[in-house]
Amino acid sequence: MTDTILRFEGVNKAFFGVPVLEEVTIDIERGSIVGLVGENGAGKSTLMNILGGVVPLDGGQMLLDGETYAPRDPRDADRAGIAFIHQELNLFTNLTIAENLFISDFPRRGPAPIMDRGRLRKRAKEALALVDLAVSPDVRVERLSPGERQLVEVAKALSVDARIIIFDEPTTSLTTRETERLFGIIDRLHQAGKTIIYISHILRDVMRIADAVAVLRDGQLVAAGPVSDFSINSMIAAMVGREIEQLYPDRTSQPGPEISLELRQLSKAGISHQIDLALHKGEVLGVFGLMGSGRSELARIIFGLDDFDEGEVLIDGQPVKKLSPTRNIRNGMAFVTENRREDGLMMEATVADNLSLAALPAHRRRFVNTVRSSAVASAVTDSVDALSIKVHDAFRSEVKGLSGGNQQKVVLGKWLMTKPSILIIDEPTRGVDVGAKFEIYETIDRIAAAGTAVLFISSELEELLGMCDRILVMGQGEVLGAFERAQFDEEAILRTAFREHVA
Amino acid sequence: MTALVQAPSLGGRMRALGRRVLMSEYLILYLCIALFAGLYLVVPKIASPYNIGSLLSNMWPLFVVAIGQTFVLIIAGIDLSQGAVISLTSVVGASFIAQSANPVVFSKSPLWGVMLFENGAILHDSALGIPVAIGAMLLVGLLIGALNGAAVAYARIPPFMVTLVMSMFLAAFAILLVKSENIIELPNAFHAIGQEFGIGNAFKYFSVAMIMALVLGAAAHFVLGRTVFGRWLYAIGINPRNAAVSGVPVRKVIVLTYVFSGFCAAMASIIYTARVDQGRPTLGEPFLLDIIAAAVIGGTSLAGGRGKILWTFYGVVFLTLLGNAMSMLNVPFFYVAIVKGSVILFAALIDVARRRILLQGT
Amino acid sequence: MTSHRLTMPVLRNMPAILFVLAFALFSFLDPRFATFTNFSNIASTSSFVGLVAVGMTIVLLTGGIDLSVGATMYITGAVIGLLLQQGVPMLPAIGAGILAGTLWGCVNAFLVAWVGLVPFVATLVTLTMGRGLGLLITESRTFILPKEMSYAASSYLGIPLPVIVFAVVVVAAVVFLRWTAMGRQIYAMGNNVEAARKAGLNTRRLTASVYVISAFCAALAGVILVSQQGMITSGLGQGVEFDAIAAAVLGGTSLFGGVGSVFPGTVIGVLLVQMISTGMVYLQIDLYLQDMVAAVVIFFAVLIDALRMRLLTRLERRNIRVEKGSTEVETAPSSA
Repeated sequence: MTDTILRFEGVNKAFFGVPVLEEVTIDIERGSIVGLVGENGAGKSTLMNILGGVVPLDGGQMLLDGETYAPRDPRDADRAGIAFIHQELNLFTNLTIAENLFISDFPRRGPAPIMDRGRLRKRAKEALALVDLAVSPDVRVERLSPGERQLVEVAKALSVDARIIIFDEPTTSLTTRETERLFGIIDRLHQAGKTIIYISHILRDVMRIADAVAVLRDGQLVAAGPVSDFSINSMIAAMVGREIEQLYPDRTSQPGPEISLELRQLSKAGISHQIDLALHKGEVLGVFGLMGSGRSELARIIFGLDDFDEGEVLIDGQPVKKLSPTRNIRNGMAFVTENRREDGLMMEATVADNLSLAALPAHRRRFVNTVRSSAVASAVTDSVDALSIKVHDAFRSEVKGLSGGNQQKVVLGKWLMTKPSILIIDEPTRGVDVGAKFEIYETIDRIAAAGTAVLFISSELEELLGMCDRILVMGQGEVLGAFERAQFDEEAILRTAFREHVA
Repeated sequence: MTALVQAPSLGGRMRALGRRVLMSEYLILYLCIALFAGLYLVVPKIASPYNIGSLLSNMWPLFVVAIGQTFVLIIAGIDLSQGAVISLTSVVGASFIAQSANPVVFSKSPLWGVMLFENGAILHDSALGIPVAIGAMLLVGLLIGALNGAAVAYARIPPFMVTLVMSMFLAAFAILLVKSENIIELPNAFHAIGQEFGIGNAFKYFSVAMIMALVLGAAAHFVLGRTVFGRWLYAIGINPRNAAVSGVPVRKVIVLTYVFSGFCAAMASIIYTARVDQGRPTLGEPFLLDIIAAAVIGGTSLAGGRGKILWTFYGVVFLTLLGNAMSMLNVPFFYVAIVKGSVILFAALIDVARRRILLQGT
Repeated sequence: MTSHRLTMPVLRNMPAILFVLAFALFSFLDPRFATFTNFSNIASTSSFVGLVAVGMTIVLLTGGIDLSVGATMYITGAVIGLLLQQGVPMLPAIGAGILAGTLWGCVNAFLVAWVGLVPFVATLVTLTMGRGLGLLITESRTFILPKEMSYAASSYLGIPLPVIVFAVVVVAAVVFLRWTAMGRQIYAMGNNVEAARKAGLNTRRLTASVYVISAFCAALAGVILVSQQGMITSGLGQGVEFDAIAAAVLGGTSLFGGVGSVFPGTVIGVLLVQMISTGMVYLQIDLYLQDMVAAVVIFFAVLIDALRMRLLTRLERRNIRVEKGSTEVETAPSSA
């Protein structure tokens, strides 16, 4: 009879109407190290956010040591003994390690509010010793490497005497040596009886340190068991092999021979390494990769939002020296960014205002620089119809009142109004319901058939398989492989994506 | 998704009405009407032709400046240097056309021997004098705006800091140029710019200021409502990152906006200078707060993305009316500062309240 | 990327570097400058600005700003003047004045921390209304203070009283910022407000406190200044906010929050600002030209601050690739 410390029972969660977790039931054995794996969007982070009190669950419950556990905020999770070491660190770079560790809990000297720096240093040293970080506690966090900072976060978690520790993609910014050090710490925690949940897409590491594995796919638990039941290939196979629930429109277009966009040996220190890419007219080229593979960063470079160090970018065969969004748009490029809330939409503006923004220069009357309202209005109405955007009144309703799917269509519509010849789309169906997804796919097919070259960045391998003529696989800023449509094989592609991390 | 008022309880209805009034574009207009009506009861003189004329003549130039400020507020910036621009351009303009210059007063000033001489300013008797003076004033306004805009857009220094420092600099520079003295005796033709004239006997309130205000106001309204540039302003104010991605030349637009703000200040300075018939290095000092208060109380948000010329007009009317009321009621001048501060506070509070209501409607 | 390995240490020691440069420049231009009496004068006259600057520094650390300090000084002076007129003895009058000034700062605290107004708008409002309030209290008359109020001219052990007060406040501020939990939490909040909230810090209380502290410092400065001037005029404290901000920013405090120190930073900044003013007086530079120079100086300080912030955000960006063969990943600034 296993000793379950934590149980997820039928956990359900949806964001903006889109289900992210469905009836997830997992038992976590006390003192074990559980590897939680799955593709991007499988629900791993959401499940952990629920555990850590960051978001509430919609249905089901959690049981901690047999008792109902329902945290209202991260502080509740803290008090329950659950420490969550996020990917995004919550450290104050202008303070020392010791100060960071005890920022809400400084040791005092007697009744006066004066800090006892001696005791602070001592306690900090103890915490650092737990994570084997041989740095003085008086060093400012801004001077630490990402790996060292992560260890400080771990030390912070340990100092609150957690019994369950969650690591979310902890090694993405670490060197090999730092990763080894982290594993040593995890091992020591394990020896001390702590329960650990380890989320990572580096499957080799999971195989190495975990006692048990749980695989999530599309918000559901598809496989769970002791690590001896798994191999890297079997984990990948579990992540894959779903029923093709989503329908994809028949591809009606064929890529032409002309190359619309070409990258030659494009490099930027720390971001991209010698990227070669050729995008043809009418082609839908997919770019797949795991989180942190550098695809969105590459897109930003192509669109001119960031600069690059070496290499060339050629548009329609002409090398372009200085890329900028304004110039790129004029040359027919469009970019649907990854995060529509952040930089894809004006939430407080109307649907019409959002739709027309990028295409405004094209709707000018010459000398007076006015916007030809009727022309814009009809373009807006056409766009709403063409994309089936469900809105009460495009000219008065604000975008923030729309569903995720319709919001995404507005972003897409904005760019299509510029009649682009090259369209870069980054995660176009994230947070979008099934119906809207299909309409977006139809649109992509339609414009590709009309000759637009589409660069389709996505973490959902399935939609790339359904929509693309070719798929590039990226990892850590490099191109790892390419697959023609005839060679499409879900497992093979996934293996390529994980290849960096497979022994 | 707007909330529906279900149970028609009195408290609920009052709150809903209150919210509607608060969010209404015409809030300030209502307040103006209420204020005027209230004042009329207390001081009937307020509706006298003389007083109306005085109100109008104060309103127009303030409106001109506030138009520029409105543009800057829409892109989520602020221009605290407009007052100082008024002062400096006043000195600059007067130093071209003063009809006389007392050596006792001005011999130590940097302008002596360069712009000001014993028998007057450098162009005091030239037909080109006034046009050149006006041109120079506008040019200075544009240049200062460009400097402000560049510091905000390229160096990314917070707008309030840039324009505050610029304000300090210009105010000191203006005083330095004339050794803290006023340049007097400007040509009659220039002085006339500030006066009212009449078309026949009917309407005696025409003035250059009014024409300037209405033309500029109409042009600004047109730009904001109907041009690409106007849409870009709102886009930058609402979400600058999105604007940049969507191809808006954000930095250039920011610079142009501050240039326009400086230009408006210079335009207003022409009127103010003409009216007092002097080049005064402290001319713009009392106006800074009025300008911001007028724009913000009219409904333009300090956080950007929201604003209309018409709203600013209401705000200017309100503020002018308030100032007029205080002088009619003989309010001692130290209360004036308190009242003005309260107006800005009131405007800022309305702004915060409005934004909170908008957020709740998500 | 070796160029920025040089810039960061230079940026960090900017205040001291500027101080030495300015000193050298003025001494070169006028040898009378480099005398002890001159220095002692600078120290004495800079005390009241220094007091305000200490409070301003603490506000800046949270990423805010306090434009109302001059008005607070005036209110303090006005209350003191009024009470002395009524025959209230000196010490209680001073106490009441300081209390009044500090209470005015509580308005700022309320507006920024609870109402949520942007700091510069809130303090602009209190600046305006505060001046009006002061004028109201004094009925815009000028008060000449009785003899006993010139205690500021007194010295203990050869050190003028204002300097002693300044030194005490500096020590208190340093202890507060370095040795109390609240002080460190202020730095934390200025660096990363989200992380501060997640760590459970009471950001509202912290924000409110800094404005009260700033007002208190301004009130003290008001007491010193009226004593030095011997009278309370309607222009009391006008423009002090600029000197205080300049001193703080020149001393290395960032407008964006989280960076800065009272000692040595702001203290050097204050001496630097006063040195520049005094130096200009020695060189008999026109009064208004001095203001222009002051504006230019502030502008450069703020420009450097903005550039440093850009550099920092670029260096803090996460790297996708760990370049092969390296055991360390490039971080900011250069590690020891």
